[in-house]
Amino acid sequence: MGNITLGRYIPLDSPVHKMDPRAKIMAMLLVLISIFFPAGWTGYAIIFVAVAGVIILSKLSFKFIWKAMKPMLFMLVFLLFINIFFTKTGDLWLEIGNFTIYSDAILNTLYIAVRLLLMIMITTALTATTKPLDMTLGIEDLLTPFKKIHVPAHEIAMLISIALRFIPDLIEETERIIKAQESRGVDLREGKFSEKIMAILSLIVPLFVSAFQRAEDLANAMEARGYAPGEKRTRYKVLKMHMRDYILLLGAAAILTGMILLAYFL
Amino acid sequence: MSISFEHVSHIYSKGTPYEYKALTDINLEIEEGKMTAVIGQTGSGKSTLVQHLNALLLPEEGTIHILDRVITAGEKPKKLKSLRGDVGLVFQFPEYQLFEETVLKDVAFGPKNFGVPEEEAQKKAKQALRLVGLPEDVYEKSPLELSGGQKRRVAIAGILAMNPKVLVLDEPTAGLDPKGAVSMMSLFWDLNKKHGKTILIVTHDMEHVFHYCDNVVVMADGRVSLHTNVKEFFKDTSLCKGLNILPPALLRMKDLLKENGFDVPEDVMDETALAKCIARQVKKNG
Ligand SMILES: Nc1ncnc2c1ncn2[C@@H]1O[C@H](COP(=O)(O)OP(=O)(O)O)[C@@H](O)[C@H]1O
Ligand SMILES: [Mg+2]
Repeated sequence: MGNITLGRYIPLDSPVHKMDPRAKIMAMLLVLISIFFPAGWTGYAIIFVAVAGVIILSKLSFKFIWKAMKPMLFMLVFLLFINIFFTKTGDLWLEIGNFTIYSDAILNTLYIAVRLLLMIMITTALTATTKPLDMTLGIEDLLTPFKKIHVPAHEIAMLISIALRFIPDLIEETERIIKAQESRGVDLREGKFSEKIMAILSLIVPLFVSAFQRAEDLANAMEARGYAPGEKRTRYKVLKMHMRDYILLLGAAAILTGMILLAYFL
Repeated sequence: MSISFEHVSHIYSKGTPYEYKALTDINLEIEEGKMTAVIGQTGSGKSTLVQHLNALLLPEEGTIHILDRVITAGEKPKKLKSLRGDVGLVFQFPEYQLFEETVLKDVAFGPKNFGVPEEEAQKKAKQALRLVGLPEDVYEKSPLELSGGQKRRVAIAGILAMNPKVLVLDEPTAGLDPKGAVSMMSLFWDLNKKHGKTILIVTHDMEHVFHYCDNVVVMADGRVSLHTNVKEFFKDTSLCKGLNILPPALLRMKDLLKENGFDVPEDVMDETALAKCIARQVKKNG
């Protein structure tokens, strides 16, 4: 479990870590949207260079990105096979008897792979550099304008922050229960089907019991300290935009504009 | 047959920014048939150490001998399952691992995982439940209905039902009331003295170490800072004080009596003997 990298915060000291979470979330959304414009390889190259720049600036290693990407490889290989068998357009690149591979099969797969890579790079650049708590503050602020149409901005943010807060705890708890059951001879890898079901049950049941227990404890603790949703609360940490945040937003907006131009006007 | 660590180290989350060296160059031989206490401050590596005994954690460097098996760093251990049957590990707060509908089924889960047939497993489960002192009317109850202390007994029975040769307990009395803790300790004492099990127990309670254990291992910053027998360890309060540990009440009492001019010999090691010794001196001096 220790090697789950997707969505994990990595405490480093970098300018990206210091940026305002609102700016980072907005920039991420803008760049994510720009991926979906058919701006071709030039477009993707531009986005890649920009995002890679941010990642280098944030001192994250590319090994880390690669680890996040790894679980997707299986899906990509599968996709490649489907494409090879069903996509029969473009130039004929290979022909062995009845078996043919057309250029579009490879290019389409590559296209999806590149998009996937970009998405992972972009989301990782956000989640790895932003503390969960800052993230929720940012989300709450960004949702505030929607309060007018009765979006419960604060409650949504609180929900997200609690969920994020409990992810490491639940991972730790799962590890603990796996170890405890392994000590009782549970074998999660081998064994008959019926044994596997028992093994999984022996994990799930205690995990649920403890998750409910935690939820109840937390609810009591929050109520004991006078938490009431909907009440006005002041903040300990007040977010403030700096020059670097505006530069990031401007960059993201430029990329989006660039992609639209590339896709429809150039 | 022996249990020993040679130059063992352990690193958590190796190769990530969270990398942490929890054990460094551990050299340790644990006497069989004895009850050994592992003490040390929180975070000193006690839990990490004991999880090596049934290969839940594997060493980064070094070699571990357990009974007739050898675990070497960098090698995939063989016969893992039988090792887990021979070395029963009870985690801290083990009540969180209960999951079956009834107490009896939960305790029988362990032996069944080792291929013991249903009926035989039930028999072993009942034996284990009797051993930990749970009355028969809880056997068919859901584990979730029981009190904290009872749950913990069920969890310990779940390990005992596998009939391990070595029993490893990580802070088994944490969170129990003093009476529950004492009866838990006497259970382990019985298992050790009457059933001949080698016992390794992680604890923070010096009274427990003093009254029940034979040997003591002191951990500090992922290293073994002291390994000696309990008699030696509690000969006087100097070792405890050097390690910043509060000595057992009896030793503190002896120190106070000595300060106040009484003559207390070293071999006076229980309350009755101490009381007699003091009474004698009071009478003599009128
Ligand atoms: N799964 C883990 N991943 C990373 N670090 C851990 C893990 N488990 C324990 N540690 C760290 O290893 C050190 C020793 O922990 P532990 O063996 O649990 O100590 P103790 O049982 O003596 O309190 C602690 O600093 C702890 O934070
Ligand atoms: Mg511990």
